[in-house]
Amino acid sequence: MTATTDLPLRRPSVLRARGVGTTLVLALLALALLGGLIVPGDPYAQSLTKALAGPEATAPLGYDHLGRSVFHRLIHALRLSPLIALAAVAMAGATGLILGTLAAARGGWVERALVILTDALLALPGLLLVLIVLAMVPGTALGFWVGLTLVLWIEFFRLARAATRETLASPAVQASQLLGFGPVYIFRTHIWPEIAPMMLTAAAFGTATAIMSIAALGFVHTGMRAPTPELGLMMVELLPYWREAPLALLSPVIATFALLLGLTLLAGSRET
Amino acid sequence: MSLLKASNITVSQDGTPILEPVSLRLEAGEPLVILGETGSGKSLLAQAIMGTLPRDLAARGQVALGDHLLDAARPVGFRALWGRQIAVLPQEPWLSLDPLMRVQSQVTEAHRLVNGKPVAEARTQASADLDRLGLTGAGHRYPHELSGGMAQRVAIAAARAGGARIVIADEPTKGLDAARRDDVADLLLAELARGGGLLVITHDLALARRIGGQMIVLRKGQVVEEGPTAAVMAAPSQAYTRELIAADPENWKPRTKQAAGSAVLTATGLAAGRGGTRLFSDVSFDLSEGEILGVTGPSGCGKSTLGGVVLGLIDAADGVVNRADGLKATAFQKLYQDPVAAFPRHRTLARTLDDVARRHGQALGRIEELLPRLGLSPALLSRRPDAVSGGELQRLALLRLLLVRPSLIFADEPTSRLDPITQKQVIDLLCETARSEGCAIMLVSHDPALVSRTADKMLSLGTTAAKVDVTAPRVVGALR
Repeated sequence: MTATTDLPLRRPSVLRARGVGTTLVLALLALALLGGLIVPGDPYAQSLTKALAGPEATAPLGYDHLGRSVFHRLIHALRLSPLIALAAVAMAGATGLILGTLAAARGGWVERALVILTDALLALPGLLLVLIVLAMVPGTALGFWVGLTLVLWIEFFRLARAATRETLASPAVQASQLLGFGPVYIFRTHIWPEIAPMMLTAAAFGTATAIMSIAALGFVHTGMRAPTPELGLMMVELLPYWREAPLALLSPVIATFALLLGLTLLAGSRET
Repeated sequence: MSLLKASNITVSQDGTPILEPVSLRLEAGEPLVILGETGSGKSLLAQAIMGTLPRDLAARGQVALGDHLLDAARPVGFRALWGRQIAVLPQEPWLSLDPLMRVQSQVTEAHRLVNGKPVAEARTQASADLDRLGLTGAGHRYPHELSGGMAQRVAIAAARAGGARIVIADEPTKGLDAARRDDVADLLLAELARGGGLLVITHDLALARRIGGQMIVLRKGQVVEEGPTAAVMAAPSQAYTRELIAADPENWKPRTKQAAGSAVLTATGLAAGRGGTRLFSDVSFDLSEGEILGVTGPSGCGKSTLGGVVLGLIDAADGVVNRADGLKATAFQKLYQDPVAAFPRHRTLARTLDDVARRHGQALGRIEELLPRLGLSPALLSRRPDAVSGGELQRLALLRLLLVRPSLIFADEPTSRLDPITQKQVIDLLCETARSEGCAIMLVSHDPALVSRTADKMLSLGTTAAKVDVTAPRVVGALR
């Protein structure tokens, strides 16, 4: 009948999910960045007399088995994992975007070689790849960054390549080419607006995957080394004392869960 | 007695009327054509009569079908009559057949489930139906193995299996070229000749003319004019009908030929194919400034591929395209069939047009200068491509091309998705462009009438490899 000009209305539940996701992520971020200012303290300082003691003013979440403040170890851990994850996602996103658009635009052997490479990498389990890199690269944080980038860029590459291929075949791009516009204009006007929302979703999921991987490897003692405060490592260290200090164990578990849930809600509620 | 009598049918959405009261009668043996543009409410009228309106629309009025008297406000009452009294021939029937079921089973199913015949009898009846429609031996095929015309006949067989006397055809020629369109009209008339009623809903004047009978012209939910089709088409009494009929390419005045300028392009011995099959070969033509070359042919004959070759987007398998010396790289431009798909969809039109003007060193004032010439309002520019009507967007696409000052425009079915009145406007503007800008135009259309009245010369493609299909006259003959 009449041309509908307004965008399809977003369902309220979708908006609410995104709101919850944003709130969770922002709250944990605020805790990580500002927690140390509100309650000053040192994540490494031990006082064995206070081992597994309950919360007090200078250590709001109590003490671990070596008498270190769980609160300060937690905020430290909440800075470390997301930082590595974001760095890896940024690197992976940039690599995937550049190589994906290149493969779609050039075609031929460039595309074939890149597709074979990604398929080969995809056949390896992600965690195994990270472990191999960790064994080769000195420095655990650097190792995680390189390893996670290697795992994560494939997703970005595949998304970018598929979307670019479709966009490049559209009459709109053909028209722009006939009108004399170059590749930069076509990328800015046609390709980027199509890819950007997908990339953001993939980035949120990728960040969650990376945080999870770091925690998982920490939990099996193959990731970050003690005494570095890291979410998975904290969990496994406190696991034997679950009866004596349940709050100390639950803190990293709840923080990890909230962070992953927040990122997943943020990613899943996007309309793409 | 009339087969079907509908009185004071109205349709409203949330209390806003979108179809004003319409009354109609369908007599046995005399077709009724409902003619109107997109959005005129013609399909709503048919749906109200059948009781198939979408849930958020409310109908009122009465429908008398044989000895049943039904209330349009309560669509549930119509269900029992579907298939038995009223049969609907769907738009684009190849999409409404079950793709995973053999043709004969689909017709058998209708006999068995609607009429409650035993399986063996239903099967015999179904193959008799298919034979009658010239589909002997096609019963074991799947819908994707049928041509468009054959699928249409299968759909008719399935629709009529329940013994319905009234056939309602909603835009039966959507997406068909001229030859196929006549086949469909003949097929519908043949069904009518077996006794029964036929209601055809269309925007296609040629189909209306061929169907004949009575006609109702709808516009924006209101009846503009009604009467015998031949009389309405010959001497319309209302201004809108006159405009609509004048917009039919059959009734256009042939364009006066222009003195040709210097040559723009020479093509010699062109050949091209797609996916290993040769589409055309040995096509030669030349074009001069201000000249319009009409390109016609059935769908799939390589019209768009020829355009790709001329524009340098596709390599020719054979032959050469010679551009005149001194033309810029962007001298050859294309006007697309679907203008929405040809604009970047995330940007406002103003930004897109500004970019083009800047790229080609045109003053931004040229956009403002061209807008009124193309009958466009500057307010449109602040919108995105999907928020502008098809006719306006096609004119904006033409404006975008004029910013480049092209020497040749390849117009690929530029009006096939537009209403007749809008189609005439766009084609007139194209002719005007050829004259004022001294630009050569290759106009592709599946409508021979349109091309013959517009073009200075014609190029007809692909009459060789027609699909094997039973032709309409044979079917009609077999039915009598």
